Amino acid sequence: MSSKQAEEELPPRPAYPIPDFGPTGKLEPYYGSYETGVPIAIDLGRSTTRFGLVKESDPNNVFPTLISRFKDRRVNKMVTLVGNEMFLDTISKSNIRSAFDGPMINNWDVIEKVLDYGFLHSGVSSQGRVDNPVVMNEVLATPLQQRAGMMELLFEGFEIPKVAFGTDCLFSYYQNGGSTGLVIGTGHDATHVIPVVDQKPVLSIAKRIDWGGRQATNYLMDFIGLKYPYFPTRITPFQMEKIKQDYCYVSKDYGTEVSNYLSLDNLEKNDIVLEAPFTEIIKHQKTEEELQIEAERKRDQIKKLHEQARERRLEKLVQKEADFTYYTNLKDRMKSMNKREQIDILRTEGFDDEADMNKYIGNLEKSLKKARNEDIGENTSDEPPSFPLIDVPDEQLTEEQIKEKRKQRLMKANHDARIRAKQEKELAQKEAEAAAEKDRKRRETDLSGWIAERREKLEKLTQNVKERKRLKEELTDRKSRAAQNRMKNIASLADEDRGSGRRKKAGNVTIDNDPNDTFGANDDDWAVYRDIARGEDDDAEEEEQQEILKIEEELLEFDPDFTVEDTLQRQYDWRNSLIHRFLRGPRNFDPEDQHQQHQIHINVERIRIPEIMFQPSIAGVDQAGIVELSEDTLLRRLPGETGFSGDDSNEMMKDVFVTGGQSLFQNFQERLETDLRAVLPVGSLLKVRRAQDPLLDAWRGMAKWSVSEHSKNSYISRQEYAEYGAEYMKENNMGWVKL
Amino acid sequence: MSSVEEVSDALNGPLVFRPPGYKAPKRRHRFLRQIINDEAKRVQLKQQQAHDPTLITYQSLAAPPSLKPIKTYCDITGLPTNYKSPHNQLRYYDKECYDIVKHMAPGVDQQYLALRSANVVLK
Repeated sequence: MSSKQAEEELPPRPAYPIPDFGPTGKLEPYYGSYETGVPIAIDLGRSTTRFGLVKESDPNNVFPTLISRFKDRRVNKMVTLVGNEMFLDTISKSNIRSAFDGPMINNWDVIEKVLDYGFLHSGVSSQGRVDNPVVMNEVLATPLQQRAGMMELLFEGFEIPKVAFGTDCLFSYYQNGGSTGLVIGTGHDATHVIPVVDQKPVLSIAKRIDWGGRQATNYLMDFIGLKYPYFPTRITPFQMEKIKQDYCYVSKDYGTEVSNYLSLDNLEKNDIVLEAPFTEIIKHQKTEEELQIEAERKRDQIKKLHEQARERRLEKLVQKEADFTYYTNLKDRMKSMNKREQIDILRTEGFDDEADMNKYIGNLEKSLKKARNEDIGENTSDEPPSFPLIDVPDEQLTEEQIKEKRKQRLMKANHDARIRAKQEKELAQKEAEAAAEKDRKRRETDLSGWIAERREKLEKLTQNVKERKRLKEELTDRKSRAAQNRMKNIASLADEDRGSGRRKKAGNVTIDNDPNDTFGANDDDWAVYRDIARGEDDDAEEEEQQEILKIEEELLEFDPDFTVEDTLQRQYDWRNSLIHRFLRGPRNFDPEDQHQQHQIHINVERIRIPEIMFQPSIAGVDQAGIVELSEDTLLRRLPGETGFSGDDSNEMMKDVFVTGGQSLFQNFQERLETDLRAVLPVGSLLKVRRAQDPLLDAWRGMAKWSVSEHSKNSYISRQEYAEYGAEYMKENNMGWVKL
Repeated sequence: MSSVEEVSDALNGPLVFRPPGYKAPKRRHRFLRQIINDEAKRVQLKQQQAHDPTLITYQSLAAPPSLKPIKTYCDITGLPTNYKSPHNQLRYYDKECYDIVKHMAPGVDQQYLALRSANVVLK
């Protein structure tokens, strides 16, 4: 009772909208004060490109690295849109393509367009070439084919004077003034752990985890897809990414938090309801009058059906009674006959022997009793109708009257059957009343005994229900014992049927005119199917449910120890269902509610998704997580490397630096610090810091580096490229790896 | 003229900074797997010619497998668990989850397993 009140007190959960579209379209600004010779920094990210002349403190253009190319039917020409401008048009959204397959460029035409676009918006006005040095990022130790492709495009397609490559997280570290530290760069496609000593990255022990923002979004998308397989609207990757950014966070203590995540208290705090946009269908409300007419019609139909069924039952009953009298008379008659005559009669009647006949009569009697108990019409008048012609011999009657007599005979049989049925019913009722009275007396004298009895009965019934469920399950497995038994039963039944030439009148012949096959002539024959059915006895199940409910009611009334919580229904309560809480949050679910149909609940996912960085095994990535990698780098790999010692490690712990999009998850730094502190030696001076701007600092670092002393001798000119090819590089401490 | 057309024309029209004679070479569309395989072959060849133990490659940067015991979680709900269904190798948290795991539509179990790369891949 108290829980019911509590339910009413709880307010509905707030539902946040899933954004209708992805990003909104906007026009990309053009850069106004272009100058030749000023380096252009390009952070060509797997998700976002940042592009701009390094004179400025921030990139002039930041846009998604995507293009959309399609034929515009309105003007009948090919249209190409890049970055944010794709979202200006609705058609373009379905034609989006990316330049990348995972972390690798596989569509160079897209890259070319993106660079075109970037240079155009940077206001490049030099004739026939881009007269600016370029600083660009690349995947750490990218395959040579990738670098060669990019160099070819830049030097030949744009004729830039010189270029330098590097890795974004190292540029970001440079921007944030790092000197010795452990750089953890989380990107769109991979996460890097790179130790840096005196501004030099120790790339020989740098490591990469193949998990980034893209994989996280995909994982969330697949997970939600499996969680709500019949969700009516499609959630796009853009929407999913937004959901991930807005609602996922790093758990400070994953083990404890996740175990408790689906408790009602925690869900009250942390369950997020998201609703997809939809147009509500308003159902036609029927008026009172219409409803009434409909109900009337339904009642009439039901009445008619009842009537018909009753008629049929009655006819059958009469037939059975006639059979019964016939066979009992026969039996009586047979008593006075000799053996031979008896056998003859039995043969003509289609019985094997006398026992067979007795059995048949017994069965008939049983089914008669049962049929009488069924409702065969109570509403006949009490006064017996008169059948005057019945006792008159046929010889005294006319043709017409004989017909009438036959009719009356049938009616009389009908009437008699009815009266007998009524009597039997009354008797049964009396018996039931007596039993109830006895039960009441027993309850009053021996309450504990009565309760024990009821409980035992309830136990047995629930056991039955369970047993049936188990059987049903077992039967789905062809090899299970239950299924094997069933097959055996079927086989033996088939055998039996063939063995004994069945009895019954020769007139009962089946469709294929086989006089031996009389299956179905008797209604009880069909019970065979009941025995070998797949445990799906709906009637019996229903009966049991009713019985359970009845006993529970009684126990609730008289047993002080039996509460609402103990009832079977209560045990199926949604509050107790983990799956319900997982799918529908801390409220009941109304499948008819259109809002609820369009809602998803984000709960465990909120911490599960970011956790994969710490435990890649969750997503089946067979690599160590960032903490284990950092620990290994700091405590084992770096001291083991020639030229380095534990002192370098100690120095490095003081500056663990995180950058990149995934570091924006709430609590990321705190979690990293707690976990690292747990594995590092006691007293280590550990400090974890995040880039000032984890997204833009890579570009800023490129800009800063491109005009610094460090960069002076680190560019490769067009001549050098022409002379030595793409394999030629210059060490720049920014992750330009010799391939 | 719509703004969409305008921005498209600006990009597709002649760009002053593009060298007039440049024609993009015909490039083969390569998938990630091909790119990685080609790179591995190149590195192998290079190492055969002149062995260089300090060479850093895309493959050599990949993080090693974890040496710590792996924590297991329910595939349906994500809660920590040690149970695993013998039918389809799915992990489940409790009886209720097991009911779902047991009566999963064909193929769905593989989709769940694919989330942690434990699905059966036919080659």
